[in-house]
Formats: sequence, C-alpha cells, structure tokens
Amino acid sequence: MVDEKRTLSPMDRVWNFFTSVKLAIVTLIVLSVTSIIGTIIEQNQPPEKYHKIYEDWAFALMDRINLFDMYHSIWFLFILVLFTVNLSCCTIDRFPKMLKVVRNPRTKLDGSLEKTLSLSDRWKRKGPLSEWAVKYGDALTASFAKPKVTGDGGEVHLYAETGVASRFGVYVTHLSIVIIFIGAIVGNVLGFKGYVNIPEGESVTQVPVRGGIRIQDLGFTVRCNAFSLETYPSGQPKAYKSDLSVIDGGRETVRKTIVVNDPLQYKGIWFYQSSYGQAGGATAKVAVSRKDGAPMSALALAANEPVPIDGYGTVRGVNYDQNFRGNGPALQVVVEKPGKPAASFWLFQASPDLDRQRNDSLFFSFGGLSSKMFTGLQVAKDPGVNIVWVGCALMVIGLIMAFFLSHQRVWVRLAQGTDGRVEVVLAGSASRNRLAFEKRFEKLQAGVKAAGQ
Amino acid sequence: MSNVILFNLTTVLFGVASALYLGALYAKNEKFSEFGTWVCVLAAVVSTAALGVRWYESYQMGIGRIPVTNLYESLVFFAWSVNLFYLVVERKYRNRTFGAFVMPIAFFTMVFAVYNDSSIQPLVPALQSYWLHAHVITCFVGYAAFAVSAGVALMYLLKARQEEAKISVGIVGLLPPCKMLDDLVYRAIIWGFPFLTAGIITGAAWANYAWGTYWSWDPKETWSLIVWLVYAAFLHARITRGWHGRRAAVLSIAGFLATVMCYLGVNLVLSGLHSYGGG
Repeated sequence: MVDEKRTLSPMDRVWNFFTSVKLAIVTLIVLSVTSIIGTIIEQNQPPEKYHKIYEDWAFALMDRINLFDMYHSIWFLFILVLFTVNLSCCTIDRFPKMLKVVRNPRTKLDGSLEKTLSLSDRWKRKGPLSEWAVKYGDALTASFAKPKVTGDGGEVHLYAETGVASRFGVYVTHLSIVIIFIGAIVGNVLGFKGYVNIPEGESVTQVPVRGGIRIQDLGFTVRCNAFSLETYPSGQPKAYKSDLSVIDGGRETVRKTIVVNDPLQYKGIWFYQSSYGQAGGATAKVAVSRKDGAPMSALALAANEPVPIDGYGTVRGVNYDQNFRGNGPALQVVVEKPGKPAASFWLFQASPDLDRQRNDSLFFSFGGLSSKMFTGLQVAKDPGVNIVWVGCALMVIGLIMAFFLSHQRVWVRLAQGTDGRVEVVLAGSASRNRLAFEKRFEKLQAGVKAAGQ
Repeated sequence: MSNVILFNLTTVLFGVASALYLGALYAKNEKFSEFGTWVCVLAAVVSTAALGVRWYESYQMGIGRIPVTNLYESLVFFAWSVNLFYLVVERKYRNRTFGAFVMPIAFFTMVFAVYNDSSIQPLVPALQSYWLHAHVITCFVGYAAFAVSAGVALMYLLKARQEEAKISVGIVGLLPPCKMLDDLVYRAIIWGFPFLTAGIITGAAWANYAWGTYWSWDPKETWSLIVWLVYAAFLHARITRGWHGRRAAVLSIAGFLATVMCYLGVNLVLSGLHSYGGG
C-alpha cells in the first residue's frame, strides 16, 4: 500500500482527492457548520445597525471576511464550488464502472460468486438438464423476472434481475444538484430582481434592481389602477389586492388583480404583491358643477393646497370633520376670487346639492375623503427557475430510486451430477433492504423448487 | 373549543403511553407495554379526530383552513406524526421497547403545545396558498422520522455500552439487539430524508410563487439546508464509508438537534420570513 501510494503521479493524487467520499463528508459538514454563522448574524443590514452591536475592530474584521453577506462571499462560494467539483468527479469516476457492471452482469453462478451470497439453496432432480432449465426459467419469469440463459460446458446458468434502476439513483441525485446550481447561475446572470412602489393611477416602465444602482427597463408599462386592503372581522389583514394593467405597444394587453401568492406574469417578468402604503396625504373629492346643475369637473383637494378653476378663482380644502354639527362628514373649503375677499364655507357629504343655495356661478359637492395608496411589488425575471425545478424533480426521483428500489439478483445453476441427477443451485442477493428480499427469496425458492414436480 | 379538549386528552394519553413503556422496562413486564400500544392507538384516533374537528371548527368560524399554520398546530401535528410513525415501526419490528424512547418526544411536544396559544386565527395573506399543505406535511413527516431515528440512536448508545462489556442486565438488557437498533436508525433516516428534501423543494416553490425568489438564505431556509446537509453526510458516511454503530448514532442525534433548531429554534430565537410560525 505504501509503495503504491508513493508511485502515484501528482495528477492521480489530485484526482483521488477530488473523487474521495471523505472529501464529500468533510465538505457537507463544513457547509452545514459555516451556514450557521449567517443565521446568527443578521445578513445584509445597514452598517449603522452592526456598529451598534459590535466594537469597531470586530466590525472591521467581520466585514473583511464578508460575514454580513456571507452566503455571497468568495470563501462560501469556494466551498460550494469544491462541493460541486467533488460531486462531479465522484460521478465521472464511478458512473462508467457502474454502467459496465450493469451492462455486463455476472450471469454465471460460479463457486467464488456463490460463496459471497448469503441466500442460497441446492437440490437434485432426475431427468434431462435442458428440460429443468426451461421449467426453472419459466418459474423465474412468472414470479421474478425473465432470466438470461447461458450455457457453459455441461452447465446451464439462469440469471434474472429487478430494480436495476436503484443503482442509478445516486447519480440522478448528484446530477440534480449540478442542474440546480446551473439553474441558479442562469438566473443570476440572465435574470434580475427588483422592487417598485406604484401609486394608484400611476405607471412604471422601469424597476430599480435590488442591491444595486442599476435600473431595469421592463420593455412595457405597468399601471396600478387601484389597491385595496381586505380585513377579517377581527381586523387582521385578509388580502392585499392590486389591480394592475400591462400596457404594451400603446394598448392594454393584460389586466389582473394580484394578491400575495397569485402574481402577474408578462413576457417572463413576474410581479408579486409585496407591500403597500399610503401615497402622500389624504385628498378630498370635490365635484364642481354649474349653477344649472351641469357637472364641470372633479377635483382632488390636498390639505391646504389651492386648486385653480379657470375663469373662477381657486378652491382650497382647509378642514375636515367626521361629523360636523351632527350632519356627518363635512369639508371646509376656502374660495378665493381675484379682487374679492375669501369666502369660507362647509360642504356636507350627505347633502351634495346644499351648496347650490350659495349665490355663485359654480357650486361644489363633497364626495368624501380618499387616501391614495401605493402598491409595493417585487419584480423578478428568472430564466433559470425552470432548470431549478427540473433539478428538484430529478432529486426527488433520484432519492426514491436510491432508497426505495433495490437491485435484486437471482441465479440458478444446473449441472449434471456424478450420480446422473441434475444438481440445482439457487442463489440471490439484493443491494438494499435485505430483510424484505429474504422473504421474497423464500417464496421464490418454494415456487422454483415446486416447478415441474 | 372541543378540538383543544381532544388535544389535551391526547397529551394525557401520550403521557400515559410513555409511562407504560418506561414502566414496562423498569418492571420488566411486557403487559405494561402491550397496554401502552393500545393507548398509542387510542391517542392516534383521538388526535386524528382532534385535527379533523379543528379543521371543521375553522370552517364554522368562517376561516376554513388546514390546521397546520401556527406553532400550536405544528406542534400537535408533529406529535401526531411521531405517534403514527412510531406505531408503524413498532408493528414492523415487533418490539415495544422503542416506545420508551420515542413516545416521550411526542408527550413533551404536546406539553409544550399546551403552553402556546391554541385559538384558531385566520390566515395572513402570505400563508394563503395550496403549497402550504404540501410543504408542511412533507416537512413534518421528515421531522417525525428524524425524531424516531434519534430516539432509537439513543437506545443504541445505551445498548452498545452494555454489549461491549458483554453484560445484559437491567433495563438496557431488554432493549433490542444493537444490530436491529443500528439498522432502524438508518432506515428512519432514509424515510425522513426524501420527505425533508420534498419539504425544502415545496417551500422553495412556494417562496418563488409568493415572493419571486426560491432561495433567499433566510434563517429558516438555511437551517433546513443545514439539517439536509447533516443527514446527507450521515448517508454518505453510512453507505460508502461503512459508518455503523456509535458514530452513526451520534450523527443521527446531531441531525435531530439541528432539526429541532430548524423547527423551533429559528422561530423562538432568530427572526426571519417564517416569523408567523412563532405565534
């Protein structure tokens, strides 16, 4: 052993290093232990927050080794790459060998193989060997699998197997991890993740990319028509709803009300309901009509902001009372006309025509307060995500193949005995769950033995 | 509410079953543990009914949702899974001594649950998804399998010490042979591992559908990955490097400690996206 090691070329040593399961176990443990750090130190927080917790020298040190964004640090990435290289090398090293074994199974039960098999039985039968070979072959086909028959001198060998896929389980699982990483890389390189607030009635065509200064052009326009918040009777939030429109090429192509867990997708870009809030202060809805009752315009008055009306003057909301003098919600407005003293009066939401009594060219009706909301949307494009799902599906399939299938093999050897009778040997083995196979083998044994009797 | 009464009854039954299994070991009397099995079966019926009643009651309250959405519910669901998983193991291995090591896990989980808020609260918008069902159920089947594995690993460590000294006395003498325990430690993990994997994947799929990102290194996600890595290390050590016995048992217990951290520790100690689970 020592000599053999000394004669290994440096290349072989490197290869042995990367194909060792020991490295895999060490990497798995190192990954799990280092991963803990980032769950204890809150990641990606503003520096001020860290300064409050840590001394300056500790902050500098931790910042230097990227502990505040450790999952994207060079050293963590290095462990992940090592993990992937190890996994790939193991597969490249072992898969061809396994394939060879599967393609060229040991179909002959010779003495040396027989010794390694714990489950076996032997008996003798009178009659021609070839007839028994057919009978046992049929019995195997009926209760296990169709056997491969090989003749060798005076002997006939039957070999049957099931669950050979179980041998591939580990490779499917390993491949799936590589596929998931590829998907993640594709998503990181070709996709983007952003976040945008859109006030009701407004539109965006660009999205600021998360964690950067880049602005991503969408290539179309997204408008938030309305945002609404539904609550349970207890007051807890039930649903956040954003009524969104996609405007592409000058016309509305999609309209959808999104909620959490039900995003909008357009041209590979997804919009997720994420946040909401009030966009600016509340505004008062005021309808302006002519004396004869014909409606003229609808105003949204922000607090104390004069709004001009052509050929008339300005109107300004100055006060709001939820129940003014017992008459319900009311708005106090101030009207200023050029060269005239300002007039102040109240508008009652419950009596929209009341203001007509005021002797003026226009009259106003208060339509209630409206607080303009904005919706906060996560915006993501991830062309790698479907690759990731393929990897995930393969991983589950691979694990089921590896853990719940068993490569079961059964051999029968028929040889002409010295006493003129046929000597039969039945043997079997399973790659896993030997207890279950023992039971199956017992049944098979009884079935085969009884065949042709 | 009647579901809580049924869950309280379940807690008592788990306690009685644990006492019976432990008593059987202590008094070396099979009768106790036979009775313990029946108590476990009764507890399975009562707790299943309790989950059903709770589900029904949520509909009556106009909320209508699967009862696995807050800490109280996840604890009772975990205990329910452990009990069922245990009954399967007991039947398959025809040995009742496991109960003394596994049922207390179910019992203390329920005791812990009793100290948490048991009211039925409506779902916050983030949890209103069909992924919830697949995600929670797969995770908890995995957790239950790991709990059973760790309980058996503990039995193994006790038994191995005696077998090495070539003595077979006292309570430990009644435990199944080391070979069987060692096999069961492994077997429970090969059940738990694919379920945990499926749990992480359904969680990722859900996160992608709700937030637009399938992996964000949030503490809960990271801890689930840590658990996955520990058991992956276990499986590699076991299958390719022949780690049996003590080392495998220790790794199984370490894996379960990581599981407990992932399940409870993250919500109670750390903060993150799964904060609603700590309510």
